[in-house]
Amino acid sequence: MAKHGADEPSSRSGSPDREGRASEDRSLLHQRLAVRELIDTEVSYLHMLQLCASDIRSRLQQLPQGDLDVLFSNIDDIIKVNSRFLHDLQETASKEEEQVQLVGNIFLEFQEELEQVYKVYCASYDQALLLVDTYRKEPELQRHIQGIVEAVVPQAGSSGLSFLLVIPLQRITRYPLLLQKILENTVPDASAYPVLQRAVSALQDVNTNINEYKMRKEVASKYTKVEQLTLRERLARINTHTLSKKTTRLSQLLKQEAGLIPRTEDKEFDDLEERFQWVSLCVTELKNNVAAYLDNLQAFLYFRPHEYNLDIPEGPAVQYCNLARDLHLEAFLKFKQRLEGLVWQPLCSLAKALLGPQNLIKKRLDKLLDFERVEEKLLEVGSVTYQEEAARHTYQALNSLLVAELPQFNQLVMQWLGQIMCTFVTLQRDLAKQVLQRAEGSMAQLPHHHVPEPAFRKLVEDALGRTSNQLRSFQETFEKVQPPPTTQLLLPGSERQVQALLSRYGPGKLYQVTSNISGTGTLDLTLPRGQIVAILQNKDTKGNSGRWLVDTGGHRGYVPAGKLQLYHVVPSAEELRRQAGLNKDPRCLTPEPSPALVPSIPTVNQVIAAYPFVARSSHEVSLQAGQPVTILEAQDKKGNPEWSLVEVNGQRGYVPSGFLARARSPVLWGWSLPS
Amino acid sequence: MSWIPFKIGQPKKQIVPKTVERDFEREYGKLQQLEEQTRRLQKDMKKSTDADLAMSKSAVKISLDLLSNPLCEQDQDLLNMVTALDTAMKRMDAFNQEKVNQIQKTVIEPLKNLSHRFGSVFPSLNMAVKRREQALQDYRRLQAKVEKYEEKEKTGPVLAKLHQAREELRPVREDFEAKNRQLLEEMPRFYGSRLDYFQPSFESLIRAQVVYYSEMHKIFGDLSHQLDQPGHSDEQRERENEAKLSELRALSIVADD
Repeated sequence: MAKHGADEPSSRSGSPDREGRASEDRSLLHQRLAVRELIDTEVSYLHMLQLCASDIRSRLQQLPQGDLDVLFSNIDDIIKVNSRFLHDLQETASKEEEQVQLVGNIFLEFQEELEQVYKVYCASYDQALLLVDTYRKEPELQRHIQGIVEAVVPQAGSSGLSFLLVIPLQRITRYPLLLQKILENTVPDASAYPVLQRAVSALQDVNTNINEYKMRKEVASKYTKVEQLTLRERLARINTHTLSKKTTRLSQLLKQEAGLIPRTEDKEFDDLEERFQWVSLCVTELKNNVAAYLDNLQAFLYFRPHEYNLDIPEGPAVQYCNLARDLHLEAFLKFKQRLEGLVWQPLCSLAKALLGPQNLIKKRLDKLLDFERVEEKLLEVGSVTYQEEAARHTYQALNSLLVAELPQFNQLVMQWLGQIMCTFVTLQRDLAKQVLQRAEGSMAQLPHHHVPEPAFRKLVEDALGRTSNQLRSFQETFEKVQPPPTTQLLLPGSERQVQALLSRYGPGKLYQVTSNISGTGTLDLTLPRGQIVAILQNKDTKGNSGRWLVDTGGHRGYVPAGKLQLYHVVPSAEELRRQAGLNKDPRCLTPEPSPALVPSIPTVNQVIAAYPFVARSSHEVSLQAGQPVTILEAQDKKGNPEWSLVEVNGQRGYVPSGFLARARSPVLWGWSLPS
Repeated sequence: MSWIPFKIGQPKKQIVPKTVERDFEREYGKLQQLEEQTRRLQKDMKKSTDADLAMSKSAVKISLDLLSNPLCEQDQDLLNMVTALDTAMKRMDAFNQEKVNQIQKTVIEPLKNLSHRFGSVFPSLNMAVKRREQALQDYRRLQAKVEKYEEKEKTGPVLAKLHQAREELRPVREDFEAKNRQLLEEMPRFYGSRLDYFQPSFESLIRAQVVYYSEMHKIFGDLSHQLDQPGHSDEQRERENEAKLSELRALSIVADD
């Protein structure tokens, strides 16, 4: 309200005070009316909004929810803000004198909120209009919508929905005008004046910003999409226009590179871009590293050593199996899930979010080259075409968009990365706690849990060393199992044959058949086990060293080498035979006259009694089958080799030589035949 | 002179009772199973520890790459955080290596040794089993021979041959019984001694985990403290992530998808 008598324009007419006062009163009246108008229109505006938001929207349920969201955008937020706004405005009604100033202040208070909430609505308005257009094309739908609109808001007329949807746009642009009207009718020296002035410019700024925001959003949505074009689509896109654009840009770039024209240096932008590149690198590397970590975790969980069955019912082995199973199924699994949800997913989202700015930066560079060319032309020619102007404008829009939003982007990303890393650390700690709880529980049940670690390590080392030796001894045990003894007893009738072979080939060439051989080919021999043969060749005509050519003393042929075993004959037996020059009893081998053993034979050549013999006189000694005997003389006092002087069981006496046999004694390790 | 093989028949009576055969096969089978399980266990443990090492190395790479990003030079707070993280990861890697070494020494090597020993015992064991089999066959053959002579008319030559056959049979039978007995004793003993082999290894394995995870808990606990992380629940963290994403998406330069 204007103060009386202060800063009045000096009245020059006859009744200056009265006139002045009259115009003052008129101004005051207009002012009041303007304020009244503001509030009244606000009331009806809000009412209209509420009708739209509740009545109309709820009746348009047959439209998909996505459509409704586009049509009505954030109308609910607008209603919230404007309700409070109206409330505050209405409160000023009682404060007569200060009302105008208060109104101005209210506008200033709400400036920020109004901008935030209306810019969203305005930015999506175009899309809403597009939708309304598509509805118009369907007569049925259009009639339905129109019916609803007219029922609720008759004054909408034939324009229907679009009439309603444009209302918030109209309102926000009207505020500066309404304020202006109040301002005009305010005395400049009134205290409310500067407030009102600020309010007016504030609301004008709001509108400017809303426009700017809308334009940026348009430009951004045009260029942020990373288009997945097939090659064919890309080729189809090439036309003279795009080609000329690209060639122009290229030549511009080349001219810059060659130094023919100056490059627009924008240090601020370059720094910003550099930082963005580092942020991108950070995100990309982190994502890749976390992926590798997850892969390795997966591999680790794939191997389940606790699932092997060693048939150990209790003790540390069982403890370990239970522990490992627990860890795999719970602790590690949970860790993996949390990692995927709280670290990996966000990183993926971040990586995707990088694409928009990356694209825009690329586009900006393209547009910059266009811009520079246009600037050149402007300098040369003085005017530019409409398209060139548009190109200039696009570059400027892109540039300002990026300059405005990149810093925020970078900061947001880094903040989020920080959070993600902290989460990673916490997840590790939680995993450790989980594992530790269970492992300590298992450890408490171990036999040596009270033993400190260094002492325990020594214990384990010793234990392992002992068991290693134990293992080795088992191995040796099994290795000592000897072939059956009967292999060594000769078949009847073969002594002569053996001697013949021996004299013809020598001792090293004799082999004994270890198991029955049945020959298949014409040159293969069929031999029983125990037969003695002499080796002629240790391979066959084809060079196969598994087939040997042997001589049985009567026949020659091939036998499998695996069924032959080297046969040791004591050389002195031969000498003895030559000495004696007599035929031998086919059932006996000439025993050694003295206990001289052939050193090459590793096992003890034992002479045993083949059959029991009952001594009939004191010169003779009794034998039991299998009994080991020591031969003292291979003939009796008269030189008869049919009797041998032996010692057995500490007794000496004569026994028939035929009742003796030489056997390779499998005496070792408890295998000795009963004596 | 070619020797016509004596026709070998099967003895009339069952000289080795079925239960003995079954016992024998069961013990042998258990040993075979043990050998296979040991071999596969050793392989799996090796692969498991390899994956464990790889995991640790990739954790180190995370912090290493972060540290080398130029952003760290400009931002002191970031540098502090990343340095602390890097230190923690490197320490954990060192402890992990130690853990793996201990496991290598007390579990994998002994398992390999055991597997190898099992592997080399088995040829000897198989040979012993074969020899027992051989002895069994000899036993059967000679038993059949004795029975054959026992059935014949008891003439002089027959009696002599019978006597001889019996004499031949006795050592063979005793040999088989000795081998059988020995194997039936040794095999279970060998099998039973596996407890001595495995228990120390598994004890060691559990203890190694306790040592490692104690360190891990301490290091990451301290780091978590240092980074001043509030104790949020998983739902809270998810909401925070959603919020951050929305903030980013609110920017025009970020594409909506």
